[in-house]
Amino acid sequence: MTHPLTPLARALAARSGRYVLIGVSGANLYGPVGQAIFVTNDFDFFLPLDPENLERVWNACDDAGLELWLNAEPLDRPRDRWLAERIIDRRAATRATGSNELAVDLTPVMAGFDFDTVWQEHRDFVIEGVTIPVARLLHIVTSKHAAGRDKDRLFLATHREALEQLLKKIDTD
Amino acid sequence: MKPTIEDGLRALREASELAKDIRIELTDEYLRLIAAVEAMPQNQSGAEKGSRWLGDRRSVDLREVGHFVARRS
Repeated sequence: MTHPLTPLARALAARSGRYVLIGVSGANLYGPVGQAIFVTNDFDFFLPLDPENLERVWNACDDAGLELWLNAEPLDRPRDRWLAERIIDRRAATRATGSNELAVDLTPVMAGFDFDTVWQEHRDFVIEGVTIPVARLLHIVTSKHAAGRDKDRLFLATHREALEQLLKKIDTD
Repeated sequence: MKPTIEDGLRALREASELAKDIRIELTDEYLRLIAAVEAMPQNQSGAEKGSRWLGDRRSVDLREVGHFVARRS
């Protein structure tokens, strides 16, 4: 099965769109190959506060055949610099959706962090030949702790134990 | 018996209720675990993660997290 992110990641690379994968889907990539820690069809892309970049990211979503949303409504057209500036000013997230229930949140906000800090220490993981920038696990977990939403607490409640199991398994292998 | 949508929604509601009482701190031990996982060779830049997606379908979902938390509390 093709990873659902690869078409978008390719389009983003072609458009020089800057982003870092964060959230549960980012944390999953630090798990052992062949097993994920948590199920999610949602991906969270952390974007810089840069309207020009947001415009490039939207264009890449178009290239990848994804639909764009703001809250529950299709994102207005034209999807130009003027609109991107207003979205960035409001620190609003837009969402890209596609087939196989793919949903990618394009957010300029990561609790407790600015983009440059996360970018400076990110890891480049490779999926099906495409490089995907992923935030440090430490940054993902710290941000979830700072956000403190119900879903974040549920994640943290099991994540630590999952890491313990992972390291224990490696020790015994 | 196959779970219904109602079963799933009920489990999510229960998990959300449980989540309100959960307090997880970033203890030194938790941070040490994170550092150990980050230091693994397979978690360095350039690592191939192509097979990760196949595994996602075999993992726990939020309903199971809710049950897990319930067992611990």
